[in-house]
Amino acid sequence: MSGTSARSMLRSPFVIVVGVALTWFIAAFLVWPNANVLIATFFPDGRFSGRAAEKLLSSDRAMKSLGNSFMLAVALSITVNIVGIFIVLVTHYFKIRGSRILFLGYATTFIYGGIVLAAGYKFIYGEKGIVTVLLAGMFPGMDAGWFSGFFAVLVVMTFATTTNHMLFVANALKGVDFQTIEAARNMGASTWTILRRIVLPMLKPTLFAATILSFLTGLGALSAPQVLGGREFQTITPMILTFTNSPTSRDLAALLAVILGVATILMLAVMTRLEKGGTYFSLSKVSSRLEKQAITNPLANVLIHVAAYLLFAVYTLPVVLIVLYSFADSAAIQTGQLSLSSLTLENYVRVLTQPSGLRPFIISIVYSALAAVITVGGLLFVARLIQKHQNWLTSLFEYLLHIPWILPSALLALGLIISYDHPNPLVGGAVLTGTTVILLIAFVTVKIPFTLRMLKATFTTVNSSLEEAAAIMGARTLYIFRRILLPIVLPTAAAIAALNFNSMLDDYDTAIFLAHPLFQPLGLIIKANTDGAEGVDGVSNTFVYTVLLMVITGFTMYLVYGRARRRGGRASQKLPTSPTTADTPVPVTVSSSAR
Amino acid sequence: MQKIKALAAGIAAVLALAGCGGAPGTASPSGSSSEASGGPTGETLIVYTNSNGEGRGEWLTEKAAAAGFKIEIVGAGGADATNKLIAEKNNPIADVAFGLNNMYFEQVKAGGAIEPYTPSWAEEVDSELGDKSEDKAYWPLVKQAILLGYNSDKFSADKAPKDWTDLWSKDEFKDRYERVTGLGTATSQLVLASILTRYKDDSGDLGISDEGWSQIEQYFQHGSPAVPKTDLFARIAGGEVDMGQMPSSIIPEREKTFKVNVDVVKPSVGVPFAVEQVALVKGTDKKEEALKFIDWFGGAEFQGEWAQKFNSMPVNNLAVAKAKPEVVEFVNSLKQQDIDWTFVQENIGAWVEKIELEYMT
Repeated sequence: MSGTSARSMLRSPFVIVVGVALTWFIAAFLVWPNANVLIATFFPDGRFSGRAAEKLLSSDRAMKSLGNSFMLAVALSITVNIVGIFIVLVTHYFKIRGSRILFLGYATTFIYGGIVLAAGYKFIYGEKGIVTVLLAGMFPGMDAGWFSGFFAVLVVMTFATTTNHMLFVANALKGVDFQTIEAARNMGASTWTILRRIVLPMLKPTLFAATILSFLTGLGALSAPQVLGGREFQTITPMILTFTNSPTSRDLAALLAVILGVATILMLAVMTRLEKGGTYFSLSKVSSRLEKQAITNPLANVLIHVAAYLLFAVYTLPVVLIVLYSFADSAAIQTGQLSLSSLTLENYVRVLTQPSGLRPFIISIVYSALAAVITVGGLLFVARLIQKHQNWLTSLFEYLLHIPWILPSALLALGLIISYDHPNPLVGGAVLTGTTVILLIAFVTVKIPFTLRMLKATFTTVNSSLEEAAAIMGARTLYIFRRILLPIVLPTAAAIAALNFNSMLDDYDTAIFLAHPLFQPLGLIIKANTDGAEGVDGVSNTFVYTVLLMVITGFTMYLVYGRARRRGGRASQKLPTSPTTADTPVPVTVSSSAR
Repeated sequence: MQKIKALAAGIAAVLALAGCGGAPGTASPSGSSSEASGGPTGETLIVYTNSNGEGRGEWLTEKAAAAGFKIEIVGAGGADATNKLIAEKNNPIADVAFGLNNMYFEQVKAGGAIEPYTPSWAEEVDSELGDKSEDKAYWPLVKQAILLGYNSDKFSADKAPKDWTDLWSKDEFKDRYERVTGLGTATSQLVLASILTRYKDDSGDLGISDEGWSQIEQYFQHGSPAVPKTDLFARIAGGEVDMGQMPSSIIPEREKTFKVNVDVVKPSVGVPFAVEQVALVKGTDKKEEALKFIDWFGGAEFQGEWAQKFNSMPVNNLAVAKAKPEVVEFVNSLKQQDIDWTFVQENIGAWVEKIELEYMT
């Protein structure tokens, strides 16, 4: 069913409509603005300048930082998978005592990240950190600065970026058919064999998608290396940001960004190739819900319990400290001296009683929600087409949709400005700069690659026979989409939308260039209050904003994920074999046989 | 279906906002009959600045409203504001920009995004501090010194460094001073200019002698890299470092917060001054209102109030009388380093690039 030719694909009116809309969007908002900004950068006077490559090649620092970024990306693709798969298994696959509590601990990465997260880890493992002080008491000779460099950056970023595993790999795991597992066990397969031969292969599309994202996160690492990398381990992103801001060096920034972008696209191509040919849904017509597995070996059971709770501590300690420190004054935060008696509400009062009040929060919530819903809503159709019809045309569209991964968001924003600051026929002759729409467009485009990857991975696990059955019974394309496909992918789509929403709430890089002056989102207000160039409250304001954002993003995750989980659970109890509930799409892997 | 309806409603809302807000630079029907010399019309002016933190933005908006001006402040870092102004030059959104220093405004001017004007207070400021060319496109507001400060509990004045170059040439200061990790900020670019311009050499790389570049190399080699989200004063208090760069205005409050005492180095060549400027955005169709606002904003009365409130040193001679005496006394005790700003503005981009690529470790 895969590999429809481009010509036969174009016979469907549904495909034509989606295709035309998509072509216009890609041309107007992905290709044109970014081509403009790249041309302005690399052909400053209409002639190509190879200056950038020369400069970068002769710079030790640039080459070393670039190497570090790649090293981090590769290492992170491995470590995040190890930790990610482990926490998914202990929360969703094995019988572990207190797995719901564990889940909440591991889920803390849903709601925060960036510089404050790195600072949180530094409070614990840094030179004056709690754990360091404790260890130094036991081993007097130890180096207080042990937690720095590549190792520290890798550790922090690994624990910080398991979000995609917790959300999407866990969702995919729920789709594994329990009967297959039982059958394998009856035939004498060990727990390990079942995991390796049945469970993990089913998760491949999602694991591949999560791996690409880990790779990308590693390449773009910014705050963790700055806080914990020390002199030895600095990455390329700070340099890209500095050069982006300097008009005379922008070609260097663009070239570096393109190098990282091309690497990501290569990674994508490799993963897409690996993913091809497998069948990631069940061929059986009746499947049953996954039941949690007891670990039979007592020693293994104890070890896994210990490891799970150690990880829980690693995940939750930084959050607890960040919340505590958000009540302390700036000096206490920066010198790492926390005394419970000095905690006050002052920071919160100061931040929340600003004249701008809640307005920036509301503006950001509206923008992020709209962008999240539009991106996921639109790409549902696109991801379906790309996954169902695999030919040169859909591959071309798929790669074009990843353009936002190639350039840093500041350059994307500049591209939109120089392309739409005059009446442009691509958007019906309108001028977009200075309107409220242009920021929404930027938000939507920035989130396209992530959304597409995750949605495509989800559609891969949908059994096409359901769709075929409906079609034989005379259902129309849209009806099938709405009544059969949508309910299956909805939990994942909602999780993607929630993550998109969360990640845009405090956006600064895009908003600074594109926000309407009368509708300034939260990111700009946060920046003004946390920059710290003048006053002393910058750092404590940063912590307060982080905690406030945690509350909003935590609430979003609860709305979307917590409720979806419960609903899914109820529905499937009523209809244990219904293919329309999230928990019961049907598995059995036949690797590379479906062709 | 309901979701689709909700989505449609949401999109409609954004489009409606777009319609109401409009392109702020394009529509301004109000006040068509007002004469040039009258008071403010109350049209909304969009003001870009990098000087809105710490409640400055809100305070200015309030004061402006009391004077009859309706302004909307858009805050951004110096480099961001510069890039934004240049990027928007075909369809400007801002009407006025202030807070950026000479180096930034020179870039904006070269990008064709601001236009020359003469404020009513032109005679009250030293024009040397602003745009030095014939067609003056930006005018000075406040100045502040960029200093090398040190922990005075650790070093007495005679043991302290005498100049920046002491930091890496004398062993006792090596690894005891904080050095920057990025050159994107105005303060660090000024320090850089202050050191490099001493080694001007037309035959050297980018106009600087090998000796000069060696100084920069050592600055980065022997300094302790700054830590993000950790203030220099916090590091001084924790004993990690003893000295580093700082703008004069921030010292008193930070001394109190972090319970440290800091003294400043007064090199014989003098210290660099950052001068914040104000400019009129080219192509605004609220030019009259914008000029009236600049006349009010840069005038002695308001600059005096601003100086009182935020401990700044005004450039306007008549406003100095209203500034805090201790601030005036301190700034006047500093010798201003003679820096060839034209030379700096022509080269700073290339300098930053060279340093980022070759000397930063």
